Amino acid sequence: MNLNDNTPRLLAPAARVAGLPRRTFLAGLAAAVGAPLLAACGGSSGGSGGSGSAATLRAYSWSAYDDPKMLAEFTAKHGPKVLVDSYSSNEEMIAKLAAAKGTSGYDLVIPTGVFVPQMAANGLLQELDHAKLPNLANLDKAFRGQEWDAGNKYTVTKYWGTTGFVYDTKVITRELATWEDFFDAAANEASGKTSLVDDPGEICAMLCFARGWHQSTTDKAQLDEIETFLVDKLAPHIAAYDSAPGSSAIPQGTHALMHCWNGDARRGILASSEQSRWKWVLPGPKTNLWMDNWAIVKGSANSDAAHQLINYVLDPAVAIKQVDFVGYGTGITGSEEEAGKLKLGLLDMIFPPAAQLATMYTGVINEGQERRMAIVNKMKAKAGS
Amino acid sequence: MSARPATDRALGVWGVLVLVFLFVPIAVIVVYSFNTGRLLASWEGVGLDAYTAALSNQEIIATVSTSVRAAAGAAAVAVVLGTLCGYALARRPGGRSGRLVTALLGLVLVTPEIVSGVALLPWFVSLGVDQGLTIFNSGWVRLVVSHSLFATAVVTFLVRARMQGMDASLEEAAADLYTPPLRRFRLITLPLLLPSVLAGALMAFTLSLDNTIISAFVQVSGATPWPVYVFSAVRAGLRPELAAMSAVMLLLTLAALAAVALVLRRGGGSKDAVDALSGVR
Amino acid sequence: MTSPRRALRRAGPAGLLAVPTLAWLALFFVAPVGLVFWYSLGRKPGLYQTHANDVLSLDRYGEALSDTFTASFAGTLRIGLAGTALCLAIGLPFAYWLAVKVRPQRRFLVLALVLVPFWTNFLIRTIGWQVVLSPEGFASRTLQGLGLIDEPFSMLFTRGAVLLGVVYNYLPMMILPLYVALDRVDGSLREASKDLGANRWRTMLQVTLPLARPGIVAGLLLVFIPLMGDYVTAAVLGGARGNMVGQLVASQFQQAQNWALGSAMAVVLILVISATILATAVAGAVCTRLLTRRRRVELAGLAEGSPA
Repeated sequence: MNLNDNTPRLLAPAARVAGLPRRTFLAGLAAAVGAPLLAACGGSSGGSGGSGSAATLRAYSWSAYDDPKMLAEFTAKHGPKVLVDSYSSNEEMIAKLAAAKGTSGYDLVIPTGVFVPQMAANGLLQELDHAKLPNLANLDKAFRGQEWDAGNKYTVTKYWGTTGFVYDTKVITRELATWEDFFDAAANEASGKTSLVDDPGEICAMLCFARGWHQSTTDKAQLDEIETFLVDKLAPHIAAYDSAPGSSAIPQGTHALMHCWNGDARRGILASSEQSRWKWVLPGPKTNLWMDNWAIVKGSANSDAAHQLINYVLDPAVAIKQVDFVGYGTGITGSEEEAGKLKLGLLDMIFPPAAQLATMYTGVINEGQERRMAIVNKMKAKAGS
Repeated sequence: MSARPATDRALGVWGVLVLVFLFVPIAVIVVYSFNTGRLLASWEGVGLDAYTAALSNQEIIATVSTSVRAAAGAAAVAVVLGTLCGYALARRPGGRSGRLVTALLGLVLVTPEIVSGVALLPWFVSLGVDQGLTIFNSGWVRLVVSHSLFATAVVTFLVRARMQGMDASLEEAAADLYTPPLRRFRLITLPLLLPSVLAGALMAFTLSLDNTIISAFVQVSGATPWPVYVFSAVRAGLRPELAAMSAVMLLLTLAALAAVALVLRRGGGSKDAVDALSGVR
Repeated sequence: MTSPRRALRRAGPAGLLAVPTLAWLALFFVAPVGLVFWYSLGRKPGLYQTHANDVLSLDRYGEALSDTFTASFAGTLRIGLAGTALCLAIGLPFAYWLAVKVRPQRRFLVLALVLVPFWTNFLIRTIGWQVVLSPEGFASRTLQGLGLIDEPFSMLFTRGAVLLGVVYNYLPMMILPLYVALDRVDGSLREASKDLGANRWRTMLQVTLPLARPGIVAGLLLVFIPLMGDYVTAAVLGGARGNMVGQLVASQFQQAQNWALGSAMAVVLILVISATILATAVAGAVCTRLLTRRRRVELAGLAEGSPA
């Protein structure tokens, strides 16, 4: 060691010296700060570069609401990729769009018909350009120009369906046919094994159907009774709020009594290993008839591609594939006969007979809506306490 | 005398039981990732179907990539801000700004995620749409900013703890030798802080990857992070691909951990690694 | 030895280094959370408007403290306290074992084993439990195989499942601070205690644990607070039974679009958490005061009796 050169020397304990090597320090520092930054920059620039080639359509839809094969075929034929996020209630979708004020990033949403007028009035939807939708002529006249959207200004019918329930015949051995039977089974054999769809309108409508009131009633006395019934009598027996029991609850047999929509129930039963174990009921005396629609979000950057997709699914050949996958009617002229010819499974679950159709009717969104949401929130809070 | 080994053995048994308990769901996920069935919980057979499906599913790859990029960004921000702040707090604890920052960081640590989430979403929309700062409409920026808050607090306290344990004599000695402050920081302080900085970066990265609630609120479509995707899959039906991707991510995390442990070992021995990871000294 | 003040002055304008963090926190934490407090004083003007602050009032707090929501807060508090207590009961012996009994070479390995689940995605771990506890899961199959039950057992969608999930997810957050605190307790103090005649229990209760108190407090806080705001675990494992306050706040923002009410509920949540912590701290201080006072009297008596 040459003490005569002018190198400054540091007298430090050996343990500290071990922590000073520059190589390790530089390597560590680079790893801690530099690499993540590079990765982040590289990633984001790569992402923005890639999207220039073909548009990517972003749809905000119900879960499992489109045949993935159909979407792949659309991409192969026309170019735009379709990515789908899912929600379990209209309220969730509307809240997201309203909060984002146009920055949600979604191009297409699938609102249930009754919500459309207010969505349009509040500037959430874009007007449709009928020139880009020649296949609109394929839609049956009965499904065009609904009362919530005369002239199809904002929406085009996607599916129509109805509400009922499915039960496990091993747990509930008797026959169930009405909404009163549903409440009775929920309180007895299926207590703690019942699920309801996560939709305030539907949940409150159940008692209305049973008692003969209008499902969208605004009568205060009726709403109070609905609240007492749901919160005090039904809530303690509910195990889960599941809008898509067909995805896993029915095939896995998680619950014994499930409130659900017809197409979802059909999908679940077809996917189950013991189909005969499950029975679908379209309950009397009345039940819901709803229609879900394609709509384009205001501020969407891919309006042309969105119109292309809507036009594509209005083609009868494509529509029938959707019917088979999802289990709901599409309103395309002649689709019921087509489905019959192809002998699709559990056909009467998709197209109920005329007698049952007569018992269904559509609700409306009115001042009672807020009260219904508050009632269901109370129901959920009660169950958890 | 015979009582001593009995309680010691009991403690040992308890320790092993707790470790087993901690690994039960991990083991289940790894095992069920080899399920060839359509639904995760319904076992049908053994196979690698889920892995091939997961690694070729564009949506899953996109969400994982979003999560990793957001975590990297959040870790970078947290390391830079946290190191500077931790240094300031350790060397100048009495200052008014120091006390304010400590209180704020403490508040960040104790705020439930749901409150942060519902606070940040309207704020981002307000900044991005009302104020016109369009950078806040980017999914990546939103995720990085939201995740960086908690992570900065963690890194700050780790660095401060280590700096308080270190005495100032080394820096003083360098100052006595006329080293300018910036060089002093670069050559003396940072290398000594390295274990804490690395541990902080790692914690920040992990916490960001895991963040579900805040991400669910602030995320923008197209930049959906992995935990949010899994959360929506819980409602739509879990498939084995999710378990397969999680197993792959676990492997990668373990590999990264091993790499970090190696760097720490070369720098200061395994005791340093343990101390750094637990924030001691 | 240079005085600390001279050294600090030579350290440069270190205080300025805290400014970037301060600015970041002010912009992205203070401002948004302040906005939440501001919104909680407003109202929901119509079905599609999210909030309006034209009329300030405390009405939203009245709604948030209505019967059902108070019941939900009570339920969440029950799970929060039970979960934290269970984490402490399970984590303390484990941390003690790790810090005191495990050989130093092995400690890194065990600590890594504790942290590996922590580094798996939180939701995936919870889903793992969902698979275990479902009617076809192996918990049910094992119990059926052992003949203990006749039909598929489902612990899913019960409050027990929520407690299990919550304890599992937050256990590492309890173990780590406890381990660090117990590790810092000087082994020689324990030895000295034993030399003075205290048995192992007295040593642990009167020497080790009190010295590790900061770590215990840190662990309790790090578990209780996030737990109170967490609703994901409860949603996955508890279904309808797993309704925690976090879910209510989230649904006000994600479904009901009532930001004013949601903000008020968020503020009430913060207040409930703070009140619980304060109450526990006061109770802890009172207990400690009573216990140490007893001991102090003993020593004083001895000192007076001993020869000067």
